[in-house]
Amino acid sequence: MIAYIVRRVLVAIVITFFVTLVTYLMLHIIAPSPAYTVLGPKATHASVAAFNRAHGFDKPVLVQFWNYFTGLVLHFNWGFSYKLDQSVWSLFKEDFGRSAYLTIAGLVLAILIAIPLGIFQAIRRNSALDYSMTTLNFVLYSMPSFFLGLILIQVFALDLNVFPADVSDNITTWVQALTHVRQMFLPIITLAAINVASFSRYMRSSALDALAQDYIRLARAKGLSERLVLTRHLVRNAILPMITLIGLSVPALIAGNLLIEVLFNIQGLGNLFFIALGNEDYQILLAYTLFGAFLTVIGNLMADIAMTFADPRIRLD
Amino acid sequence: MTPALDIKDLSTHIQLSRSVVQAVGNVDLRIERGQTVGLVGESGSGKSMLGLSVLGLLPNGGHIVGGSIKADGQELVGLSERELRRLRGNDIAMIFQDSLSSLNPTKPIGEQVAEPVRLHRGASKREAVDRALEVLDLVGLPQPRQRLKDFPHQLSGGLRQRVMIAIALACEPKILLADEPTTALDVTIQAQILELLDDLRDRLGMATLLVTHDMGVVAGRTSRINVMYAGRIVETASTEELFAGMRHPYTQALLASIPRLESDPTKVLISIPGLPPDLTRPPAGCRYAARCPFADAQCRAEEPPLTGESPDHLFACWHPVDGPVKTPPPLIVDEAAAAAALEAKKPAAAEHLLEVTNVVREYPVKAGLLQRQVNSVKAVSDVTLHLDAGETLGLVGESGCGKTSLGKLIVGVEKPDSGSIALDGREVFKLRGSNLRVARRDLQMMFQDPYGSLDPRMRVSSILKEPLQIQKIGTAKEQTEKIKATLAEVGLPLNALERYPHEFSGGQRQRIALARAVMLEPKVMVADEPVSALDVSIRSQVLNLMKRLQLEHGMASVVISHDLAVVKYLSDRIGVMYLGKLVEIGTGEDIYRRAAHHYTDALIRTIPVPDPVIEKAKTEAGIRGELPSPLNPPSGCRFRTRCPRAEERCAAEEPVLRAFSDSHRAACHFPLQTPLETALANSATGEHA
Repeated sequence: MIAYIVRRVLVAIVITFFVTLVTYLMLHIIAPSPAYTVLGPKATHASVAAFNRAHGFDKPVLVQFWNYFTGLVLHFNWGFSYKLDQSVWSLFKEDFGRSAYLTIAGLVLAILIAIPLGIFQAIRRNSALDYSMTTLNFVLYSMPSFFLGLILIQVFALDLNVFPADVSDNITTWVQALTHVRQMFLPIITLAAINVASFSRYMRSSALDALAQDYIRLARAKGLSERLVLTRHLVRNAILPMITLIGLSVPALIAGNLLIEVLFNIQGLGNLFFIALGNEDYQILLAYTLFGAFLTVIGNLMADIAMTFADPRIRLD
Repeated sequence: MTPALDIKDLSTHIQLSRSVVQAVGNVDLRIERGQTVGLVGESGSGKSMLGLSVLGLLPNGGHIVGGSIKADGQELVGLSERELRRLRGNDIAMIFQDSLSSLNPTKPIGEQVAEPVRLHRGASKREAVDRALEVLDLVGLPQPRQRLKDFPHQLSGGLRQRVMIAIALACEPKILLADEPTTALDVTIQAQILELLDDLRDRLGMATLLVTHDMGVVAGRTSRINVMYAGRIVETASTEELFAGMRHPYTQALLASIPRLESDPTKVLISIPGLPPDLTRPPAGCRYAARCPFADAQCRAEEPPLTGESPDHLFACWHPVDGPVKTPPPLIVDEAAAAAALEAKKPAAAEHLLEVTNVVREYPVKAGLLQRQVNSVKAVSDVTLHLDAGETLGLVGESGCGKTSLGKLIVGVEKPDSGSIALDGREVFKLRGSNLRVARRDLQMMFQDPYGSLDPRMRVSSILKEPLQIQKIGTAKEQTEKIKATLAEVGLPLNALERYPHEFSGGQRQRIALARAVMLEPKVMVADEPVSALDVSIRSQVLNLMKRLQLEHGMASVVISHDLAVVKYLSDRIGVMYLGKLVEIGTGEDIYRRAAHHYTDALIRTIPVPDPVIEKAKTEAGIRGELPSPLNPPSGCRFRTRCPRAEERCAAEEPVLRAFSDSHRAACHFPLQTPLETALANSATGEHA
C-alpha cells in the first residue's frame, strides 16, 4: 500500500518535471524575453540587453528553466509579472481561493445531483422519466457554459431578481466568497449543471452495467427488497468508475471556470488568465498553464489512490 | 405428503421489443423432500428460466403466463413481490453458475453470508456472523473465522462456490435450485462441490433441483431426470431408467453425442444436425422434428403429448426409440488421400516432426517500489515431448496446469525462457525473417472462444484469405478455389463467404476457425479447448469434423482440453499436466486403463460419466483440496500435497519420467504400475519413443 502510493507520487513528480520543462521551452520560443513588454516597443537594443542581463534573460534557456524550476520548487516562486509589477503568486493567492471555491462547490453539487440521478435513470431505464432526463442532459451537455450562464442571469437575476448577476462588487477576498453564498449561487449552478450532464450520463451507464451483474440477481435471490439491493450492492460498485472521471474533471473544471468567471465578473484565476492573455503577460500564462497541468497530475493521483481504498480488487503490490 | 416443489403446466414468456420468447411451455415437475431432481437441457432450452420462474426473478419482460408453482403446498404464482421476497433466500434458495460474478466484489464474504440471516431471521449482527461461521464451516471453507473479512477475489473458484452455497443455505431453505453449480469449475473441484451438495441435501432434507447441461453430472447425483428441449419437458424418468431405456430420440442423441473414455475412437459420435428452434416462433408440431431422424409428417403437424406406459416414465414423441444407440457408425475417411497427405508431411531431416525439449516458461511477478521481480508463475516447467507426423497428442489437466501456455509455445506465439522447440529439426525460435514466416505456415492454432477469435469486421472470405495472402500462396484465383474447397470440407455453404462471423452460430464459427487453421495445410495444428464453448449437441459435430480433417490432411495436432474424454476421443497419445509439469504421457489406453501416476488415476475417477451405475458406485470424490499456487509449487513432486501415497521422499526428491512401456511414461516415486527396468537416467534426456 505505502509502496504503491510512494511509487505513484514519484511518478507524478517526474511527470510534473517534464511538463514544466516542455511548457517552459514552448513559451520561450514564443516569447524569449518580456523586455519589450516592459520597456515598450521603441526600446533600444542596448536597453533590452541591459534588461535581459539584469533579469537573467540572457542566459541559456536551460539555465533559465532550471532557475525557474528551482524557484518554483524551493520558494514556491511562480515568476514575476513585469506587466503588473507583482509576483505571480501574490496575484494567484487571492484569486485561487475564489476559483477553488467555485470549482469545488460546483463539483460537489454536480456529484451530489448526478450520482442519484444516474442511478435513478438506470433503474427506471427507458421510462418516460429516463427519456426526459436524458434529453435534458443532452441539452445541458451541448450548451456552452456562457450561454447557460446568460440564460440563468436573464431569468434569475434580471427577470426574477433573486440572485445578483455580477458578484465582483460584493466579494473581494476569498473568505467573502465562502460567506456570500447568494452571490456565488448562479455561477456555481451554471458550473454544476454543465457537469451534471456528463456525470449523470456516465453514472447511468455504469449503474446499468452493475445492474446486469450476477451479484445483483443473487442479492434479489436472497430476498432483499429493491431498495436494499440498491443501497447495499449496487451503489458502491456503480460509483467506482466515477472516481476516475471525477479526478480527471478537476482541471477541466478550472478551464470551465474561465468563461464563467468572465461572465459573472468573478476575480478568479480564469479572469486573471483572460486579462493576461490580452496583455501578453507570458509569466502569468506560463504559471496558469503549469497550474492546470499540476492539477491534472494531482487529480489523477488522487483518483488512483482513492480507487485503492474503494475497490478491494486493486492489488497493491 | 405434499411434495416440496410441485410445478404444474407452467408457461413463462419473455416479452422482447418486437416478439415474445416462449421460454417455458406447459412444464410439470415435482420434487419430494430430500430428493434431487435433474433438469437437463442445452442453452436456450428454458431450464434456467424455469428455475427463475420459481423465485419470481425473471429478467425484464419475463412473466408467468399460466400454470401453478406450489412450494410446500403454497401457491407461488400470483404472490405479491413482498410475499415472494419473504420466501426468497429463506424457504427457496438458488445457486448460480459463476461464483466470481455472483458475489459482490466490494463486500467481505462474511457480510454476504450473514445478510440473509439478518434479513429473514431478524438476527442481530453478532448472531448473523455466528450463523455465517456455522454455514461456512458446514460447506467446508477452511478456517472460516479468518476468512470472514476476505473479499471474493481472494478466494479460488472452488472456495467461492462454497461461499455461494453457504449464502443459499444460511436460512436452511426447503428448496434449493442449483443452476449449473459446477459448470465453471475444474473436474476435481466439481466432484467436491457435487458431493457437498449431496451431503447437505441428506443432512438438511432439502429438495434440490439440479439444472445442468452435463449428463455426467446428473447421472450420479439425481434420482429423477427431466430432459428439456426448446421450452418443453420432452422426457422424464428415474435416473436409472432414463439412461438405460430412454424413449425420446433427443435424449438418445444427447447421450450418444458425448464422447466417453471408453468410446471407440474409430467410430463417429452421434451428432444432432441443425440448431434448436427459434422460440419466438416455435414450430407447430414436435419442436425436435426438424433435427430428428425419425420425424415424419405427423411429427411436423401435431405436437406429441407427454405420455408413457407408466406414470413414472413419460416422453413426448410419436415414434419413441428403445434405449441407447447400440452401434455408432464408423468414421469414413478417404484412406488414399489421407495416406498421401501424411506422406507429404513426414519430417525430412529429423526423427520426429516436432520436438519439444526441456521447455520452461515463467511469467514474472513484480512488486515493491522499484517493481523488481519477486517471483514468477511457473507455467511450464521443463517439459519434453515429441509429436510425429499425422499424430494427435492430447494435453489434459486442471486450469492453471500450463497446458495452454505449452500450446502457445508450440505454435510459436510465445517464446520459451529456456529449452528448445524444433520443427522438422529446425529450432523455431532461431529462425528469422522469411524463414520464420514460412515456418509459421506449418504451425497453426484453433482457439476456444469462437466469438472472440474471429474478427467481427471481416467477412468469412477475408478471414480465410488472409493467411494465404500473408504467406503469398497462389494467385488470387487459386486462393479463391482453395477457400471454396476448404469451406466445403468443413461443411459450410458457399454463401457463407460473404457473411460476417456474428451471422453464424457457435458451432458454425468453430467450423470457420477450423477452416482458417487448415487453410495453409499446416503440419501441426494446436487446438485449445476447441469444443468447450459449444453446446453438447454441437460439440460432437465439431469433434467428428476435426477428426476427419486431421486424418485427411495428414495433420499432426495437439488438442488441449480439461475434458479427458474429449482428448481421448481425438488423440493417439495423451500428456497429463499438473502445475507446469508433464506428469504422465502415453497412448489413450495407457492413460485410461493403465494410469501409473496417482494424479491421472484420480482425474479419471473424478470425471463424471454419463452412466448412473458407474457414477453411483463411486464412493469418494477423487482428488481432495485445491491446486497449489503456481508461484510457489511444492518441492519434489508437485502433486504430493494432494496425493494419497505421498511420503517424505516425494517432498525431497523430484520424480523423473520413467518408462512403463515403449509409449508410456510417468513421473512418480510410487507408481500404480510397475516401471520397466530401464528407467531413464534423468528427465533431461527426455523421451525417445
